[in-house]
Amino acid sequence: MLKLLGAVLVILAGTLAGFQLARQYADRPRNIRGLIAALQRLETEIMYSYTPLPEALRRIGQQSREPLKGFFVTVAEEMSTPHDRSAEEAFRLAMDAHWRVTAMKAAEKEILRQLSCTLGTSDRSNQSNHIALALQQLKQEETVAREDQGKYEKMSKSLGLLLGALIVILIF
Amino acid sequence: MANDWLQLFPEKVRALLKRLPLPLLGLVEEIRIREGRPLEINYSGKYHFLSGNGTLTQHPGEAYKPDRDESHRLLDLISNHSLYTMEEELRKGFITIPGGHRIGLAGRTVLSAGGVEHLRDITGFNVRIAREVPGVADGVLPYLLDKGRQRIMHTLILSPPQHGKTTLLRDLARQISAGGHSQREGFRQGMKVGIVDERSEIAGSRRGIPAFDVGPRTDILDGCPKAEGMMMMIRSLSPDVLIADEIGRMEDADAVTEALHAGISVVASAHGKEVAELVSRPGLGSLLEHKLFERYVILHRSEAGLSFRILDSQRRGLLLAPPGERLGGGGHA
Repeated sequence: MLKLLGAVLVILAGTLAGFQLARQYADRPRNIRGLIAALQRLETEIMYSYTPLPEALRRIGQQSREPLKGFFVTVAEEMSTPHDRSAEEAFRLAMDAHWRVTAMKAAEKEILRQLSCTLGTSDRSNQSNHIALALQQLKQEETVAREDQGKYEKMSKSLGLLLGALIVILIF
Repeated sequence: MANDWLQLFPEKVRALLKRLPLPLLGLVEEIRIREGRPLEINYSGKYHFLSGNGTLTQHPGEAYKPDRDESHRLLDLISNHSLYTMEEELRKGFITIPGGHRIGLAGRTVLSAGGVEHLRDITGFNVRIAREVPGVADGVLPYLLDKGRQRIMHTLILSPPQHGKTTLLRDLARQISAGGHSQREGFRQGMKVGIVDERSEIAGSRRGIPAFDVGPRTDILDGCPKAEGMMMMIRSLSPDVLIADEIGRMEDADAVTEALHAGISVVASAHGKEVAELVSRPGLGSLLEHKLFERYVILHRSEAGLSFRILDSQRRGLLLAPPGERLGGGGHA
């Protein structure tokens, strides 16, 4: 009886791990899409409203959904008094704190890091160019992420279940 | 509010400035930061360099030299991390920050169609600390009042840069707007004052709210070109007194003439040492020729303090304050 319970638990754990992995694959394109939307709003704030960065980022954070909400709000806070950090520094700190809770990977992080070095340091047309470049790169990553999702999402779900089953068979 | 401008500097420079004695910090007029060159501090009309251990020196060699990182950081801080919001300011070459302090910028200009479009590689900063000196106009105001008609006379304030024109204008605005009570002339009602604050220096406005006390009946057109602003004021805000800083161009003179004919008193300031030398200037010359101003106030600041002379429309002296008579000016807050 106890053995049976153990077997059920192992299979359950395998299945859950598989689902978790599948969710990572499903969340990544969604997170990237959110980031793209956020950067597009940032561009509007810069180009048409002349909003200073800390305020623009705070607004974008409030309009976004978690996990991006927490990320942008942290950046805005780090850039405001009393910290008054530069955009580059603020993004780095916020990425250290929040990147783990997103499904995004190193590629997106690098794109955002490069953008943060130039944010706020030049005139509007230049800012627009840098944001457009970041958007383009993010869209490429999104395509890759969607392909991965198509390939691996379902597979990892069944793989989790099967792996659980395999372990049970091996133990018995 | 006191010394809030310290927040604006990068950590290292701020730490050095904080080591200065507090009374001296209250006197500082200008802080000049030039990348790779000595950090300079001006107060009471004299210049000093600041050394790496926070003491003042006259030798450039001993002075602290801010590096590239610090000038970048300073620019980042004064632009609120958003240089793109400062395009107009970069074209004009200065930024006014909250508190009314003005930062003049030096760097490489980018030209477009022959005009300056932008400043880049900004490496020179001149931070001018703005201070409110309530009462600085006490000595001047009685001479500008036309008691019979309950109005202010058309006045031109003259002085070289850094002698307190703007501070005087600010206090005049406050006192004229608030009205007041004095033993000599009894009760005086407040008047509607309109300030055309092209460089946000008089009122130090931030999002339209003045940082300085410019009086309860004062309207401010912030960041507005003077000539256009004066016309807008006349048309829409019906001021009794119009105040503008540093007039000098042809359009300014036309707008002043317009205001005078509309029955509005004009109190303006201009760069210069003597009335006579204004005659040759294209814009102001015509105003002088027609004797449109009824009062000239000539400011002079020496180490002893701020002194002033007042002339009437015929340029006869009304008051010759002995040099050294303090107006409460000289930058002490």
